[in-house]
Amino acid sequence: MGSHFAELSVFLDRIGRLFIGFLASIGSLTLFSIKAIWAGITPPYYWKQILQQAVQIGYFSLPVVGMTALFTGMAMTLQCYAGFSEFTAENAIPSVVMIAMTRELGPVLAALMVAGRLGASMTAEIGTMKVTEQIDALTTLSVNSYKYLVFPRILTGTFLVPFLVLIDDIIGILGGYLVGVYYLNFNAANYIRNTLESMVTWDIVSGLIKGAVFGFVICLMGCYQGYFSKGGAEGVGRATTNSVVTSSIMILLLDGILTFALF
Amino acid sequence: MEYVIEVENLSKSFGSKEVLQGISMKIGRGESYVVIGGSGSGKSVLVKCILGLIEPTSGVIKINGQDVAKLSQKELFKTRLKCGVLYQGGALFDSLNVIENVSFGLIYGLQVPQKEAYKIALEKLEAVDLDETVAKLYPSELSGGMSKRVALARAIATDPDIIFFDEPTTGLDPITSGIINDLIVRCTKEMGISAVSITHDINSLKHISDRVGLLFKGKIIWEGTNKELLATDNPYVVQFINGNAEGPFTTQG
Ligand SMILES: Nc1ncnc2c1ncn2[C@@H]1O[C@H](COP(=O)(O)OP(=O)(O)O)[C@@H](O)[C@H]1O
Ligand SMILES: [Mg+2]
Repeated sequence: MGSHFAELSVFLDRIGRLFIGFLASIGSLTLFSIKAIWAGITPPYYWKQILQQAVQIGYFSLPVVGMTALFTGMAMTLQCYAGFSEFTAENAIPSVVMIAMTRELGPVLAALMVAGRLGASMTAEIGTMKVTEQIDALTTLSVNSYKYLVFPRILTGTFLVPFLVLIDDIIGILGGYLVGVYYLNFNAANYIRNTLESMVTWDIVSGLIKGAVFGFVICLMGCYQGYFSKGGAEGVGRATTNSVVTSSIMILLLDGILTFALF
Repeated sequence: MEYVIEVENLSKSFGSKEVLQGISMKIGRGESYVVIGGSGSGKSVLVKCILGLIEPTSGVIKINGQDVAKLSQKELFKTRLKCGVLYQGGALFDSLNVIENVSFGLIYGLQVPQKEAYKIALEKLEAVDLDETVAKLYPSELSGGMSKRVALARAIATDPDIIFFDEPTTGLDPITSGIINDLIVRCTKEMGISAVSITHDINSLKHISDRVGLLFKGKIIWEGTNKELLATDNPYVVQFINGNAEGPFTTQG
């Protein structure tokens, strides 16, 4: 009886510690984002940094994001065909591709690619700046590092990942069309008509909302992990891995939550 | 005497690790004060506490007579503009070229228009014996000595009252070290800037210091002028200056 109780208390102790650790990191993340946003919305504004990040996120991410969308759209159409043709339900393919891309795959795939590409590079860049005292140098040259480094990334991430999601939607659907029409020999006009008929504004908008949330989370995580990395190059490497893993998990978790909330 | 920096009973712990344990020191205007001590003895932490980059556990720090803990964020940033810092690794911004680095504090801190800031930056580069040929280079393209010079030019760009030098010669060859020491003397003595330096380079110490404090186990255990340093028979100082393996310093320092 006594030993059971001891085991239970050890178990509860562990759970408690995990939970407190979780709350503590949520707390410091929240504080970090409040600091960054507050610093960012008070003048002066660092437009040049914001513009640079916008180009990084909105332009240089297009190739990776577009390519994943294209192949996913193509593969999905093939898979659907393999399944649906058994029930002679091939006509449903365009609308399935449409719904899946806009509601789910567009936002999630774009976000995961951005997490891998940008989240990682943000952590590596800011982490390197941290361990080589460049962030201290910003401060002693009287620049608020939250305003200069963190805010431009969070801001552009939140507003430009939705844009990437939209591009993802379009390219994914286009990929489906290419396979459908040129490989599976669907009638082009029919395919387009079916696609357009199944287009629902809210599906697209909900995907963009997801994109904004994911973009915010990825860039917040990317900056946060970099900002608090320590212990030289090795520490920065660890922080980078943490950043990608945590934001990927957060994306999938939040995707579930948002899907519940939005539909 | 007028003091630019006054530190009273400064302590700093990281968790249970007490790095600084009640440091007091005063640095007069125009004076060059050097803190010596072994690696990991807390020299950088001391300087970062003075600059407000690390919050001390206890103690009072005054810069130009103002208690920095009582300053608002805005006033603190203003005070920092009066302080130039040469960081241990240079800490030049990787993403900016030389001229952008040197003019950074002028443009972002003092809101000097870019054209004028670049002009001042070029003058400061000349002051450290560099010319406009390096202006467009990035930090990764500079040699160790060159990046120290650029970092020095950036530190003096805003015409500070006080400059902090964190191990300015560590990692440089003896000749480049000598040149950097000369530049430091030039910057401080000719421009009348007060300086707080950290070093464990004895040559540099003899060259650049007016007054020296020896940091050991979180305390300044010896303080004296440049001349007293070489004359003293304090066993800690003697061991440090001569680099003896045997003496009151233990290897943990
Ligand atoms: N941010 C920090 N967090 C925890 N420990 C630190 C931090 N900064 C410095 N330390 C510790 O304080 C001690 C003194 O460091 P430092 O001042 O960098 O030494 P040095 O005299 O070589 O400049 C070291 O043991 C270091 O590990
Ligand atoms: Mg140091």
